[in-house]
Amino acid sequence: MNLTINENAFKTEVGPVKKGADITIMTGHFGSGKTETAINLALEVRRNHGKVAVADLDIVNPYYRARDTKAVLEDHGIELIAPAERLAAADLPIVPGDMGRLIDDPAYKLIVDAGGDKDGATALGQFFNDWKYLNPEVLFILNANRPYVSTLEGAVETLRKIEKASRLSVTGIINNSNVGNETTIEDVQKGLELSRKLSDALGIPLMHAVLPEHLSDQIGELEGAPVKVMTRYLKLPWEM
Amino acid sequence: MAKVLMKGNEVIAEAAVHAGCKYFFGYPITPQSELVAYMARRLPEVGGVFLQAESEVAAINMVYGAAGTGVRVMTSSSSPGFSLKQEGISYLVGAELPALIVNVVRGGPGLGNIQPAQSDYFQVTKGGGHGDYYTPVLAPSTLQEIIDLTEAAFEIADTYRTPVILLGDGMLGQMMEPVEFKDLTEREPGQKEWATTGTRGDGKPRTITSLDLNADALEKRNEHLQKKFAMIRQNEVRYETYETEDADYIVTAYGTAARIAMNAIQKARKAGLKIGMIRPITLWPFPEQPFIETRDRVKGYLSVEMSAGQMVEDVRLAVDGRAPVSFFGRTGGVVPAQEEIYEQIVNISGGVEV
Repeated sequence: MNLTINENAFKTEVGPVKKGADITIMTGHFGSGKTETAINLALEVRRNHGKVAVADLDIVNPYYRARDTKAVLEDHGIELIAPAERLAAADLPIVPGDMGRLIDDPAYKLIVDAGGDKDGATALGQFFNDWKYLNPEVLFILNANRPYVSTLEGAVETLRKIEKASRLSVTGIINNSNVGNETTIEDVQKGLELSRKLSDALGIPLMHAVLPEHLSDQIGELEGAPVKVMTRYLKLPWEM
Repeated sequence: MAKVLMKGNEVIAEAAVHAGCKYFFGYPITPQSELVAYMARRLPEVGGVFLQAESEVAAINMVYGAAGTGVRVMTSSSSPGFSLKQEGISYLVGAELPALIVNVVRGGPGLGNIQPAQSDYFQVTKGGGHGDYYTPVLAPSTLQEIIDLTEAAFEIADTYRTPVILLGDGMLGQMMEPVEFKDLTEREPGQKEWATTGTRGDGKPRTITSLDLNADALEKRNEHLQKKFAMIRQNEVRYETYETEDADYIVTAYGTAARIAMNAIQKARKAGLKIGMIRPITLWPFPEQPFIETRDRVKGYLSVEMSAGQMVEDVRLAVDGRAPVSFFGRTGGVVPAQEEIYEQIVNISGGVEV
């Protein structure tokens, strides 16, 4: 009997050829500005792409989540994937069921906004098998003016814990160093310096620096990374 | 130290550490859990103890135990959990033990919701637990002010041997703002001659208790407490006024509501209305003086609250019928909008000239 091996028989169809959404996952320490960065990114992507969705997977924060910017997203034709409205303010860690539909749909650009720290990143872990072959972009947002991430050591530890909890590897770093409406260009520069050190230490590219809108005229002061001007959408009652 | 961006709940925790508090006993509840989480990480770094108790009742009794040794100690919760602590707070008052208790208020009554509210005003300013007592209540309206008032709260607690309440709301607890801490100086805790840290043959054993089976003796203890409350009323009142000198009408509000009301007042000033503000910082003792000074010359007051009308009762007592006092509030976790407060101001002042 002549046995010939059909090489193709060993190739599996699942895996690398799986089609699905173009996914960007926002991670970061608690209060790094993931949600604002996610909303700004969604609006930017929407300019050149039809189907854009933001998934609110924040199971940690009780307020100031992507679901609170529903009106802005709707105005721009961006889909919001979030817990049902009647449960939006429930003290429950809800992961919306629509996630599966979006992950599998190649027509979508999907931006996933998880909660902060390793605790928030835990919500991502369950999708490991759904998006592992889709090569999602995994961004780590750094605000060096927050407790516990103002040093290289602290930032590395936080990033590694998030990677472990989410079962993902960070593919890019975004510098979002700010102190709210009192941010100066020096605050952004100082944070950019730490972001660069983090990038060098871990071999993860620094994607861009975020500049608060009120500093947009000083954009020329930032060197060494592309800069994106950020508009704030989550406002406090006395800022409206 | 440079400015950092922090959440209100984190600021309370870090401010307490700066004030020399190394002991925290608590139980998580939204919207103040970040305070508990921060302490769990922070206190071991300064050689302190963080302990998550099995309930709010257990936590407040652990505070009682630690306070008895003379150390700076605190607990924190939000409305339903704060209600559970009332028995323990009454015991702290009775036993004259200093401690900081934080209440980050949420919508009630009952389980209510996790949105911001100011509906625990009665509970914090009129006793709260059983027995004849008051506790000093400090109500910050910015995150930077939290730092100052947390320090002040521990000072008042130690000076008068009393529990002190720091009252916030979900908005203040969850929002982020830049804050600046003074450099942490190692603080030598003052000797407390009443602390039960063991006898060394240097006198009678010290006891700390709120129990007194003798009616005459318990009455004496109550008289002593009342004298102490009178001293606190005299020395510890805090408030802020804004353009009250020429005001026709005065808005009064505290905490988050004061920040929103301030914008409405400034808008009214621009529209030509003479509006001022009294912002109580201590809710007990209530600042009566700014009302006494203005009540015979203003046309009226408006109390703005995130409640169905609680502080307005103290405003009426202070105004003593000499001017009309109106009220505007939202309940259930709804935060009043600047625009609706402005409308109320326009209404009570008889409209804007067009």
